[in-house]
Amino acid sequence: MKRFEHISASSYEEASRIVKEGRGTVDPIAGGTDLLGTYKDRLLETYPKAVVSLKGIPNARYIVSRGGEIAIGAGSTLKSVAEDQNVRAACPALAEAARSVASPIIRTTATIGGNICQDVRCWYYRYPDSIGGRLNCRRKGGDTCYAIAGENRYHSIFGGMSAGCASCQGNCPAGTDIPAYMARVREGDWDGAARIFMRYNPMPMMTSRICPHVCRDKCNQSVYGESVNIPAVERTLGDYILSHRDVYYAAPRHATGRRCAVIGAGPGGLAAAYYLRRAGHDVTVYDAHEKAGGVLRYGIPHYRLPKTIVDEYCDALENIMGIRFVMNTKVGEDITVEQIKAEHDAVYFGTGAWSQPVLGLDGENLTEFGLNFLVEVNTYLQKAIGEEVLVCGGGNVAMDVALTACRLGAKKVKLVCLEQRHEMPASEDEIQMAIEEGVEIYNGWGLGRVVTDENGRVNGLMAKRCLAVRDELGRFNPRYDEEDTMVVASDFIVLATGQRVDISFLGDKLGAQLRTARGLIDADIESGKTRQEGYYAGGDAVTGPNLAIRAIRAGRSAAASMNADLGSAQAEKESGEKFTRFDVEGIEVTVAHRLAEKPVEERSLTGEDRASLDEQTAIDEAKRCLHCACYAVAPSDITPVLVMTDAKIMTTERILTAEELFTTKLTVQQVLRPGELVKEITFTPPVGEMHYDKRRVRDAIDFAIVSLASCIDVRDGVIRSARLVFGGVAPVPYRLEKVEEFLVGKAVNAEVATQAGELALEGAFPMGKNEYKVFMAKDVIYQAIMRLAQK
Amino acid sequence: MNDVIKRVNITINGKLRRFIISDDEGCVAPSETLLDTLRDKLGLTAAKRSCEHGACGCCTVIVDGEAVASCMLLTADCDGSSVTTLEGLCDPVTGELSPLQRAFADNSAFQCGYCTPGIIMSTRALLDKNPNPTEEELTEALSGNYCRCISHYQVIRTVMGFIHQINGEAV
Repeated sequence: MKRFEHISASSYEEASRIVKEGRGTVDPIAGGTDLLGTYKDRLLETYPKAVVSLKGIPNARYIVSRGGEIAIGAGSTLKSVAEDQNVRAACPALAEAARSVASPIIRTTATIGGNICQDVRCWYYRYPDSIGGRLNCRRKGGDTCYAIAGENRYHSIFGGMSAGCASCQGNCPAGTDIPAYMARVREGDWDGAARIFMRYNPMPMMTSRICPHVCRDKCNQSVYGESVNIPAVERTLGDYILSHRDVYYAAPRHATGRRCAVIGAGPGGLAAAYYLRRAGHDVTVYDAHEKAGGVLRYGIPHYRLPKTIVDEYCDALENIMGIRFVMNTKVGEDITVEQIKAEHDAVYFGTGAWSQPVLGLDGENLTEFGLNFLVEVNTYLQKAIGEEVLVCGGGNVAMDVALTACRLGAKKVKLVCLEQRHEMPASEDEIQMAIEEGVEIYNGWGLGRVVTDENGRVNGLMAKRCLAVRDELGRFNPRYDEEDTMVVASDFIVLATGQRVDISFLGDKLGAQLRTARGLIDADIESGKTRQEGYYAGGDAVTGPNLAIRAIRAGRSAAASMNADLGSAQAEKESGEKFTRFDVEGIEVTVAHRLAEKPVEERSLTGEDRASLDEQTAIDEAKRCLHCACYAVAPSDITPVLVMTDAKIMTTERILTAEELFTTKLTVQQVLRPGELVKEITFTPPVGEMHYDKRRVRDAIDFAIVSLASCIDVRDGVIRSARLVFGGVAPVPYRLEKVEEFLVGKAVNAEVATQAGELALEGAFPMGKNEYKVFMAKDVIYQAIMRLAQK
Repeated sequence: MNDVIKRVNITINGKLRRFIISDDEGCVAPSETLLDTLRDKLGLTAAKRSCEHGACGCCTVIVDGEAVASCMLLTADCDGSSVTTLEGLCDPVTGELSPLQRAFADNSAFQCGYCTPGIIMSTRALLDKNPNPTEEELTEALSGNYCRCISHYQVIRTVMGFIHQINGEAV
C-alpha cells in the first residue's frame, strides 16, 4: 500500500472536520475492510494524503432498544449486529443480512457504518491498477461503462443510473442531454424527447442541419463502431417539433409585464428571445435584415438549410409565441441602443460577426468577401461569377462558398487553404461533398497577392507555401516559405478566411463602456452580463466568430440570467428518469443509419441535399446509443434491509431516511456532504416475518447476485402487509411497491407467489448476459412467500 | 502532520510491544497493516501474506478474542489490543505445539500447509468462545479460510475429533 498519514479521531465531529478541511485528500476509515482494498489496488485516480480513523471514537459501538426503536452505533461490527439478541428477535432480516456479509474474519472488523458506505464491486470498477492500469470507467468520471457492451452477468437488471454529465453531453456546446432525449426517442415518445431537447436548444430543425456536432467525437459507441448519428436523430426530432409547432412554441400562459429587447435575429438572438418569451416577458427582436434568421437565413446555403424551415420557425416565434420582430432596422442608425433600452427592462446583444476582415493583400479590393457572397446568393439565388472560381479558406463557410459556386455553374472551382487536409476546420462531410462536386483543394498554401493582367482584371492568386499553421504553443501563427510560391489561375476570388465583429452600433458612449481590447463586447461567457446593468450579450459579438450552437447556448444562458434578474427564474426539472436503459440489440449495430443524399448530378442551389430519416429509422439509430451511465449494482447487504424497515440514519449533520440516503443517487457519497459521517442507525421493527435472502455463487465472501429484504405480515393465512426490497439487482436498493400493494389481502399460495414474482420483474431490463438474474429474482420472491405457507 | 510522537501499545502473544507510528527507519508506517508488522517487524511469519484483501484467510490472527484478517487492519488502529498469532499458541518456553496444532499435525489436516495457520487461528477463536461447536458452526467459522489443496475435509474431521477428545467423548 502506498503510504498515507493516520489520524485517530476522538469524536465523529472531529473526524468530520478533518475530512472536510482535507478537501478530498483525507478519507474516513472505519473497519477498513473495503477501503484498504481500494487503496491496495489503486482503484481510484486520487489517493488520500491521510486517513482519519473512527475506531478510537468512544461509545461508537452499541446496539440498544429505545422504546420500540433499535439504535445501532455506526462503529458496531457486523458480527455484533448478527449476534445481537435484540436485533435477532426484533429484526431477524438485519441479523441475517449482517451474517451474510463476506466471511467471519471480515465481520469481526467491518462496521455497519462502513458497510452502508462501501464502494461498488463491479469488476471493471475494481480492476487493479497493477495489472495494466485501472479502468477509468463512467462511475470514476471516465467516458464509458464497460459493462454495457461487456461482461455484465453480475450487473443491474433494472437499468443504470447517471454518473454525471455523459461525454457527448459534455462535448455539446449547448450541454444538450443527448442520452435523455435519445431514450425517449427509443420509446417512440417524440413529445418527451422534444420537451427534453428544448430545454437546451429551441431550434433542432436547424442545428441538426448545420451544427458540426462535436458531440459525436465523444460518443462511446465509436469504441465499437461508428458514433451514433446524433444529428440525424435530432433532425427527425426537429422536423417533428416544427410540424407540431403549435405545441412547442405556444404562447406563455402568464405575462410578467416585463419587456425585453433582443438585438440580432440570428441563432443566439432567437434562442434568447425564445427563452425570454417562454418566461412570460414581452420580447421584441430588432434586426437590420429584411427577414429574421440571421446567418441561418443569409449565411447558410438553401441546399443545407431550406429557407422554408427558417420561415416556419420564425413564423412560429412571431405568430404563435408572440415575439415581436422589428426588421429592416439598423440599430445604431435607425434607432439607438439607448432608445431601445428606454423602452425595455433588459437588452440582449446577439449581433454576430458580419464584417470583412482586412488581410492586407495586394489586390484585396478585387476579391469578394465570402459571407457577402453567400448573403447575395441566398437572397437572390443568382450571382454573376467568373469561369474559374477560387475560394480561399478551409472552414465551413469556405466549403459553402465553393459548393455554391459549383451549383451556380462555375466551370472550375478551386480552394486554397493554409491547413493540411486533416487540419482543415471544415467538417469532414462538407469537405467530402466539395471533392465529390469537383472542387480542387490546394492544402498548405497561404495567400500572397492577387495577380492581374495588363487590363487590371483578376487572373489568379499568387500563393506561398505554408510550413506550419500553428506555433509550438498551438496558437494560430502561420509560417511561410516565401520562396516557394505558385499562381492559381482564377478570374473570381472569394475570401472566406473569417469574419470580423463590428460593434459600432453601440455608439460612442456605450461602445467605450462595453468594448474589449479585441473590439468585442465585454460580457461574462456564462451569464451574458455586461458591466452595464440591463445589458447582456453573447455569441460571436462576445467570442468572435464561432459556431451557431455556441451562440444558442449563450442566448439561452443570458436569457436565464435575465429571467433571474427580472425575478422570473424558472426551475427546470431534472431530465430523464431514475434508471437509464439502452437497447441490448440496438447497441450491437456498429454502422450508423445515414441520411439519404442526392447524387451529385441532382444537387442544386435550392433543393436540400439530404433527406431526414423517417421516424422508425431515427428510432433505430437512437437504439445505438449506449446510454452511458453506471450499471453496477449496490453492493451492501445492509442497505436493502434499512430501506425495508424505513430506517433513519443520523449523521454528523442531520437525520436522513434510508430511502433518501441509499436510493436517490448513484452513491451514498453523492448524498452526504463533504465530511458528513454516519453516526447511528435507528429503526422501528415493522410487524411481520422478516428475512434477508441472498443468492450468490459461494456461500462465503461473495456479494449478492440477487437478495431480498422482506417483511410480510400474515394473519389467518392472509397477507396484511408486505415490505419488499431487492438488493444486488439495481444501482441502488430496489423497493417493490407494486408487489407490496398486490400482496395485501392475498392468501399465501403458489399462484400468488408466482404472480408476485412476475410483477416484481415486470420492468426488468436484462443487459445481455444477465437474464438469469431475472429468473433468480422471481424465484427469490416465490420462495420468500412460500416459506410463509409452510408455517 | 504534527510533531507529537504517536505510539501504539499492542500485546502480542502475551508480550507488550510498543511501536512508534512514523515513516522513520524502524518505525511502523501509518499505512502499515498488522500483517506487515507481524511478519516484517517481529518475524512472526506464521500469518501468511496471500490475497491481501481479506478474502482467503491465510493471514488470520486473533485480535481481542476475534479472528480477523490481519491484512485488512492497520497497525496504527490496534492500540491497546491483544493479538495472538499461531506462534502464540505454542508453549512459550519449550516451543511445544499446542494440542490443537498437534491434532492438525497428527492427522495431516493440511496438504501444502500454507493456509493452515489461518485455519488454526479461526478454529482457536471459535473454540475459545464455544468449546463445543457443532460441525455446522465449525464450517461457518472456517468459511473465510480458503484451502486450494482441498484439505477442508481432513480439517473438519480433525477438529471435530479434537473437540470430542477435549470434551472427553469417544471419537
